Amino acid sequence: MKQEINRRDLFKLGIASAAVLATGKAIGSSALAGTVDFVEGGKDFSPETGAERQMIPSACWSCVTRDSMIGFVEDGRLVKLEGQPNSIRGKGKICAKGAAGINQLYDPDRILYPMKRVGKRGEGKWKRISWDAALTDLAARLKKLRDEGHPEKFMFHYGRMKASSSKIIKSAFLGAYGTKTIGNHTSICEGAKWTGQELTWGKHYDNWDFDNTKMVVNFGSNCLEAHTNSIPVSQRLISGIVDRGVKLYTFDVRLSNTAAKSTEWVPVKPGTDRAVVLAMCKVIMDAGLYDKDFFKFIKATKNRKESTDAKIAALKKHLDTFTPEWAEKISGVPAAKIKSIALELAKTKPACVISYRGAVAHHHGADTERAIQMLAAITGNIDNPGGRCRGVGAKWKYPKGPKDKPKAKALKITNGFKGDIAYPTHGANHQVLKMIKDGKAGRPEIYMWYCYTPVYSHGETQENIDILKDESLIPFTVNVNAYYDESAALADLILPNPSYLEWWDWEDMVSPTQIPEYYIRQPFVKPLGESRDFKDVVCELAQRMGFSLGFNSAEEFVKMSCEMTPDVKAAGGFEYMKKHGVWHDPNAKPKYYMYKKEVKTEDLKKDGVIFDEATGVYWNWKKAHAESEAAAKEKGYTKTKNAYKGYVGQEIEGKVYAGFKPDKVNKSGYFELYSELMEMKNLPAIPSFTPVPVHEKMGPDDLILTSYKVSVHIHSRSANCKWLTEICHDNPGLINSKTAKRLGIKTGDKIKVTSEIGEITTTAKVTEGVVPGVISISHHLGHWQYGRYASGKKSPFAGDNDPDFKLKTWNTYGVHPNWIIANKPDPISGQWAMLDTVVKVTKA
Amino acid sequence: MQEQLSISRRQVLKGAGAAALTGAVTLMPTGKAIAARGEAPRWAFIVDLRRCIGCRACTIACKAEFNVPLGAFRAAVYEEVTGTFPNSEKLFLPRLCNHCEGNKDDKVPPCVKECPEYPKDRREFVTADGKKIRYRGGATYKRPDGLILFDNKLCTGCGKCIEACPYGARNFNKLLISGKDSTKNGITKCNFCEHRIAKGVTPSCVNICPGRARFFGDLNDPASEVSKLNKQFGLVEKRNETTLLPGENTVPTCFYIDSQGALSKMAAAKQKFEKNDAILDVI
Repeated sequence: MKQEINRRDLFKLGIASAAVLATGKAIGSSALAGTVDFVEGGKDFSPETGAERQMIPSACWSCVTRDSMIGFVEDGRLVKLEGQPNSIRGKGKICAKGAAGINQLYDPDRILYPMKRVGKRGEGKWKRISWDAALTDLAARLKKLRDEGHPEKFMFHYGRMKASSSKIIKSAFLGAYGTKTIGNHTSICEGAKWTGQELTWGKHYDNWDFDNTKMVVNFGSNCLEAHTNSIPVSQRLISGIVDRGVKLYTFDVRLSNTAAKSTEWVPVKPGTDRAVVLAMCKVIMDAGLYDKDFFKFIKATKNRKESTDAKIAALKKHLDTFTPEWAEKISGVPAAKIKSIALELAKTKPACVISYRGAVAHHHGADTERAIQMLAAITGNIDNPGGRCRGVGAKWKYPKGPKDKPKAKALKITNGFKGDIAYPTHGANHQVLKMIKDGKAGRPEIYMWYCYTPVYSHGETQENIDILKDESLIPFTVNVNAYYDESAALADLILPNPSYLEWWDWEDMVSPTQIPEYYIRQPFVKPLGESRDFKDVVCELAQRMGFSLGFNSAEEFVKMSCEMTPDVKAAGGFEYMKKHGVWHDPNAKPKYYMYKKEVKTEDLKKDGVIFDEATGVYWNWKKAHAESEAAAKEKGYTKTKNAYKGYVGQEIEGKVYAGFKPDKVNKSGYFELYSELMEMKNLPAIPSFTPVPVHEKMGPDDLILTSYKVSVHIHSRSANCKWLTEICHDNPGLINSKTAKRLGIKTGDKIKVTSEIGEITTTAKVTEGVVPGVISISHHLGHWQYGRYASGKKSPFAGDNDPDFKLKTWNTYGVHPNWIIANKPDPISGQWAMLDTVVKVTKA
Repeated sequence: MQEQLSISRRQVLKGAGAAALTGAVTLMPTGKAIAARGEAPRWAFIVDLRRCIGCRACTIACKAEFNVPLGAFRAAVYEEVTGTFPNSEKLFLPRLCNHCEGNKDDKVPPCVKECPEYPKDRREFVTADGKKIRYRGGATYKRPDGLILFDNKLCTGCGKCIEACPYGARNFNKLLISGKDSTKNGITKCNFCEHRIAKGVTPSCVNICPGRARFFGDLNDPASEVSKLNKQFGLVEKRNETTLLPGENTVPTCFYIDSQGALSKMAAAKQKFEKNDAILDVI
């Protein structure tokens, strides 16, 4: 047999090559046992022929974790994705969503050609057009706005756009074009968490050092199923639990997979985590179990020069009423439980306090994150091995685009309504459509969205549809997309993007080891059909409008960046990265205690550096673009616009430290538990408890609606993946058995869920895995577009060549909860308070 | 039909001085089917339930490795919420073919026993040290290293092996025409990624598992991870507690490290764990 000859030949080669696979694990053990010391990965073979599949290193893009990975190509087709064995972040692992990325590439409902609307917007009638026709039209429209002096009337709204994608599209292209009307998606994710961090320790992103921790206290993170650094941290957490006996306490409304693997799941009522955290802080302070040394870097009172004892006394006083008994009444968590976990946390060193959307996607969610920061700080678990650390990622050098960029203009529609939100540092973009409808801050003439679905991702789905459909509100809509989703259906022009498996990027996501990792994404196959990476398209669009970005493609940009980044260049530059996909400095030491670094005296003497007595901050008024030295001194650091941009260091007890460098707000270099910025906006200066207003008015039969993610779906954009949707294609409402009994509801019953803005009909699932008084419905599902696997509906011009179509086993597609969730923001951060919705649940 | 690889492959192996790739088997028709001798690897699969986070990476990696059609799973994860709030727990149970040894009397697992196309051709398994172990091929057959394999060329698509498997580990592959009856489908089932282990690479599900909950290796090799885990947890010795449906007397080679009693709790819950139900991964 021909096949056998091939196998034998391969086998000969196999021995030599198998011994030096990527993991470097040596092969060979007892010959008598006839066994194999297997290598974990790096190679794959065809099950049919035994032939080795071609390996290409790249990076995932299913979620923001962006694991480096490898893929295998057979006969020009990508057939398998695995983790990158040489990555210090992922250590050879990816998740189900990552592995199912192949479905994104070969989704038969993919958009492969530029499409122009014919008929009414949203009517579903389309015409295939050429790229030239599409870009001629788009460039003319964009150029007209720019020439008229209104580049800000071009709004660009992205969901996922990171690293080189962001640098090419946002910094280079949109920067050179001149619009700053740029929306993101952070308010529907974890904006409150970031604002809470910016108000306490400056920059956003907390890495959880699970490799070195002994205990984890978790408020509302489901990091074993979904997280911004999912695979890097989840594998370390479960290994810590099993191999080192790390205790994990998870406070959550729902028995998530993370709660399931915890030492204990501690059920908590939605929106009340902060009460528990404050009570834990009180227990620890009262027991004298705080880390006194760290208080040197804490600002706990208005007067920064207060002694440590005075800071401790002030904090104790502030926490005085937040007793565990008080917290029990609010949260449902027994006081004894709060006490015991608090004391265990204080006595276990190091320990890691973690948090996510479950804790922060609420009214005053940013204050919850501040309280969680406080709990980590008083126990000495900030930026330490095993604690809650500031994120460390790769620092690429890259081409910045044209030098002569215009001063960009912006419509003020990305930060919510005026006066509603104190510090929308990551925007309130779930309110963009509402603000466009309102019109007081202006309206874009061209609204383009990229890896985003404003209709589906925000609350108030019907309003989103109505606004996006209305040509009088938005004259021209453009969607860059590979898939025909609910928002694409409302575009005037669709530009077919490839899947991420067909494009170039460099990547920089945070490393769980505090050592930066450099990695790239490269195409496994050429873009299908006529799809074109939008990063390449903007290079052409710029040229069509008469300017150049200084590079002609994403590949060229990545190549230039590899050569510009000294460490990567020294490792072998672009060629090395194409071959290996990933690089880190083997001699690098993990970055901890960055705040303790002293600032050099000469840096304090640099031109423009002044000292702010009130805050103790050294800052450079020139770098902050203040009017003059005199004006900067008169207004002071805290009240000068963007003063944080000039931050140099923090004076503490006669020394100047790097401190907790501010970002986005004029925080001092202290770890601020007392925030003047909060006080200035009449918000609690020290983290405090504010009940969710709508929860105060609940009737006896009202429930709170929460949503969640499952391990096999990505946000709004994986229901088209057949292997994932085969596993999860329904999302019944989870109701605790006690609540269900009271309401007369059984598993499988059709139920109506009614909020102040609308009603959905779904199915009930009675469970012991959710707290009473709640209905919990996962998002991801309930699509009415996105192709046949997601909704049963074929996309325009889609093919029929997937043999799995006739084998599809499901005809339920779930129900989207966002129809009935209002787009209310957290008044501190702008975070969509998506987990606060009060509903009535009745049998349908 | 047989594969003819024996001599040269063995020579290659010996020449390289590596016992490395003995999983790649030599198949030559001789003699009567016999059970594995000590020299052959004794493959075992261990799932450490403490480490399973219910993420389904295994399910998807398997789907991709073999392009498994919709409606069929070679690997799956079951989950169940048990207990009463707030003392409830959520359990995970990955499922795959147990590659059963078969009962003590005949050492033939039920799927092989029921296969009308077994025993067929005479084959030979050559161990690393050159010993030949004879066995019989079939549409479904047991190799001396314990793998339960499927050969579509011999399959009539009768489905008896599917019915015979108490674990539901077999499914029709609706995109595969059976070798001997073009009106029927062949089957799909876990083969421990025979094509990968033959080349010294772990099975696809083991490779991907983020929790490192899955182990594959040789129980005849005392240095292997599976042997160490077997020793630590007494997996073989306590097989009534560490394998699925012990009452079926199929003697699985897939073991579970089960600190929460998940096997019995999930069997008791019976929601999706009835005997013979095809394994299915649906949340």
